[in-house]
Amino acid sequence: MKKAIGRASALMLCLMAGAMVAPALAADSIVALANTCNNCHGLKGVSVGASMPSIGGQSESYLRTVMLEWKNGTRYSATMGRLLKGYSDEQIVALAKYFAAQPWVPAEQRAPDQVVFNGRLVSDRCTTCHGERGGRPSDDQTPRLNGQWALYLEMEMNKYRDEEVKLPHRKMRKNAQKLEPAEVYEVSNFMAVQKGQ
Amino acid sequence: MNSVNRRVFLQSLAAAGSASILTVPAARAASTAKARVVVVGGGFGGAAAAKYIKLMDPAIDVTLVEPNATYTACPLSNEVISGHRTLESLQTRYGGLTARGINIVQRWVTAVDPVKKVVTLTGGATLSYDALIMAPGVDFTWGAVEGYTSEVSAEIPHAYKAGPQTLLLKQQVEAMKDGEVCIIAPPPKPFRCPPGPYERAAQIAHYLKHHGKGKSKILILDPNDSFSKQGLFTQAWKALYPGMIEWVPGKDDGKVVKIDPKTRTCYTTFGEHKGTVVNIIPAHKAGKIARDAGLANAQGWCEVQPMTMESTVHKDIYPVGDCCIAGELPVYDMPKSAHMAVTQAKVAAGAIIAKLHGLPNPEPFYVNTCYSLAAPDYGFSVVHVYKVEDNKFIYVKTAGGISPIQAAPITRKLESEYANGWFNNIMADAFV
Repeated sequence: MKKAIGRASALMLCLMAGAMVAPALAADSIVALANTCNNCHGLKGVSVGASMPSIGGQSESYLRTVMLEWKNGTRYSATMGRLLKGYSDEQIVALAKYFAAQPWVPAEQRAPDQVVFNGRLVSDRCTTCHGERGGRPSDDQTPRLNGQWALYLEMEMNKYRDEEVKLPHRKMRKNAQKLEPAEVYEVSNFMAVQKGQ
Repeated sequence: MNSVNRRVFLQSLAAAGSASILTVPAARAASTAKARVVVVGGGFGGAAAAKYIKLMDPAIDVTLVEPNATYTACPLSNEVISGHRTLESLQTRYGGLTARGINIVQRWVTAVDPVKKVVTLTGGATLSYDALIMAPGVDFTWGAVEGYTSEVSAEIPHAYKAGPQTLLLKQQVEAMKDGEVCIIAPPPKPFRCPPGPYERAAQIAHYLKHHGKGKSKILILDPNDSFSKQGLFTQAWKALYPGMIEWVPGKDDGKVVKIDPKTRTCYTTFGEHKGTVVNIIPAHKAGKIARDAGLANAQGWCEVQPMTMESTVHKDIYPVGDCCIAGELPVYDMPKSAHMAVTQAKVAAGAIIAKLHGLPNPEPFYVNTCYSLAAPDYGFSVVHVYKVEDNKFIYVKTAGGISPIQAAPITRKLESEYANGWFNNIMADAFV
């Protein structure tokens, strides 16, 4: 129920934002704007730093929601909230659209076979929503995980495991907290090395 | 707006995007096939400008002039001093830019003629340009601290241009005995990497603490009365290295005016301090070629136009990175960071492409993110967002700022990891 409300309000925000897009926000400026994200997230959203997520080809709806939540402070972030407070909702909507339209490029990374094997054994906590190999999310508010950086995935799950950190998704917190620390590492690596969906 | 209309609207946005100046149609690109851009300096700003100009319009002839075959990045170089990074991990060559079709000329520029739009290279050859990116970085003002010269820096390092100087400071810190003193003397503002000297104090303390030299002290003799991320550094120093780091601001006689290199004694106006290791970071100014080209103001910095990054002095010259000054001093000026340089480079690149194609200038957007590491697992950041209003750089006060002082403990750990991820991405964004 709570999730449904969250989705409805996100949709409202998005619709309002769509209606408010000013003519000044020219399409060429959207690419220029998106280029400011490349510093940390890579050209076309393909990150080459293990703690920074790739965002190119991620779900538009997911990207838009997390950016708006960071901006309005309902989702914890170490850095992103301070950045996004400088972007208008229209710019955030446009950025989500731009990065979602880029191809998803799995990160070049490896993990020991045993780690990946162990990770698969506990991955059923993730696959219901994110898909069997993390690449077929059940809805557009759920991010894909296949080929995402393992370190980033591990760091995100550690946020959900930390009670001091304010995050909106209770189901995610519940599942992350049921994993042992070693399993967090293993399942992150399992998802990270998946190239297909 | 219902969802169908929204979809149509977003599609139209995307369609408009495909005809934007940032993806110049082939016919238009061909019309400027002979357009030439020369980039002076292969640091973050210069490299990113060259890359993004080529990316937006491959038909433009882009030449990067840089005397060194290898670039050593300054961000995170304080971790070399503490032993948590190698110098090699900060280095890159220019093969990534060559692969994009950018000409690399391994020389330096001796003169700029802004009227004829020609630069002269060492050896006498010349290059004509339609637009020039000026990105030489900073020079030091030797002698601003009496007795501190370029020659003396071979013994008493500044370690503020990453490379052999960084290793020299590292060796000297490693040779310290427990209980000895290391003096750091930051430069007066503005200078590159505003949190650099204070991050350095933490990194040196980290090394000393974990190598049985915890009674040693780091004394920061500062000409300034405040510094970047001050609350965060003060908190981190106290938590991680209690009693090891002392900061003396300018108002409390912190300004070093003279040094005796033989005795390693730093003289302030009223006092003197002796260090086993002394690290003097001299005052900065724009690189010589930028000043020689007449681009610098009386304080030695290149002023720029907010919409384009074009020089306020000469047309078609775009100073980017540490050599330029933008925004309101002393608090709201754009920090001299790698991130800021790359952002400025992208604005300049967009403006140059627009001008060459006779298209409207894209709306500029400036952001900065700068991470500092007080320990390998203890990081924090400052964020800046700037907008242009009435042709002025405006620091957006509702955004940005430093990491919260009161934060969930996981925050410092996360930002330490982000620092490393940021580094890999910013290197790729500029050089690959």
